Amino acid sequence: MGLGGSGVDGADGKLVRRILGGETHAYGKLVDRYVERFGEYATSLCRDADIAADAMQEAFIRAYDRLSTLKDPDQFGAWFFRILTNQCHNHRDRRRSYVPLDTVAVSGGRTPDQDLTAAEAKRAIDAALDRLTPDLRETFVLREIEGRPYSEIAALQDTGEAALRKRVERAKEIVRAALEEDA
Amino acid sequence: MTEHDDTRYERMLAAYRDGLRPPGDEVRQRVMTELAGRRQGAAERAWWRWFVQPHTVRVRPMLAAAALVIVVGLSASVSQLLVDGNGAAIPDGTVLVQFELEFPQAETVALAGSFNDWNDSATQFTRHEGSGVWSVTIPLPPGRHEYLFVVNGEQWVPDPRAHAAVDDGFGNLNSMIVVGPRGVVRS
Repeated sequence: MGLGGSGVDGADGKLVRRILGGETHAYGKLVDRYVERFGEYATSLCRDADIAADAMQEAFIRAYDRLSTLKDPDQFGAWFFRILTNQCHNHRDRRRSYVPLDTVAVSGGRTPDQDLTAAEAKRAIDAALDRLTPDLRETFVLREIEGRPYSEIAALQDTGEAALRKRVERAKEIVRAALEEDA
Repeated sequence: MTEHDDTRYERMLAAYRDGLRPPGDEVRQRVMTELAGRRQGAAERAWWRWFVQPHTVRVRPMLAAAALVIVVGLSASVSQLLVDGNGAAIPDGTVLVQFELEFPQAETVALAGSFNDWNDSATQFTRHEGSGVWSVTIPLPPGRHEYLFVVNGEQWVPDPRAHAAVDDGFGNLNSMIVVGPRGVVRS
């Protein structure tokens, strides 16, 4: 799926201008578009779809309230991505303090031959993501979990591709080490 | 890094992706409901402000007489509307209300309002054969409803025959209709 690059953002800019021109109901189209585009990213950062829904709701409301401050309406995607990411980090931090111990306890004795359930993988990956800094976590999710191209991630994070590749390698080392300890 | 590590890493990520569940349509609904609530609140404040603020009224006898004739005519129209069934009550307490728009150039026309969370595609008009007139009839509960027509999926236009227009809280106007228990009420 493409991201906030020029093609899609052209359509975003048209919508943003309509909203700023008074067609406030057109905001629903932007919401639909970015729930689809960033929904899985938000879930990964927040650990949970329900928490991600809360974070996305807050991000969309904040974006709406600040829409008139957006200098280039064609860049709504990348701009909203930053707002959403901040909300996701806030919600993830809040959530962490409520997670019961039994859901983060590490279970051992797994072998590659055993079938992994999604729940087991979720527990292990969530714990590994906790070891990453926010920047590394964002990049790791975008690249390794969602498989987005480096060019798209570079546009989203306003970072060069070479730096992103190093960031991904560093994140993979940390995640691999966490999974190895968990095994 | 061993082959075992790589395999486990890839299998873990694959299983994690399989179980990933993104938020659904509830986000749109929650966001648009919150924004609609703000509009409603702002409109209601404007609505009630009109009643509590003083107004200067200038009366010209000839115009007052003409206005009286119009009011009588409107009352007759409302009575006719109820008899014709355009606003006939249906069993569950809602009232059938017909919305109509003449827009020959339109490809599609939809109705979005406070009664359908301002959904711009849920309530589609039907074009009258051989004319540029579009209409749709929907049940509405008694009360005050704000709405707009959505032409060709993107152009939001007020109802030129609306009973009233109210501030949407953002400097624009929504059309408004008042539905009473026995039919449409002219405001």
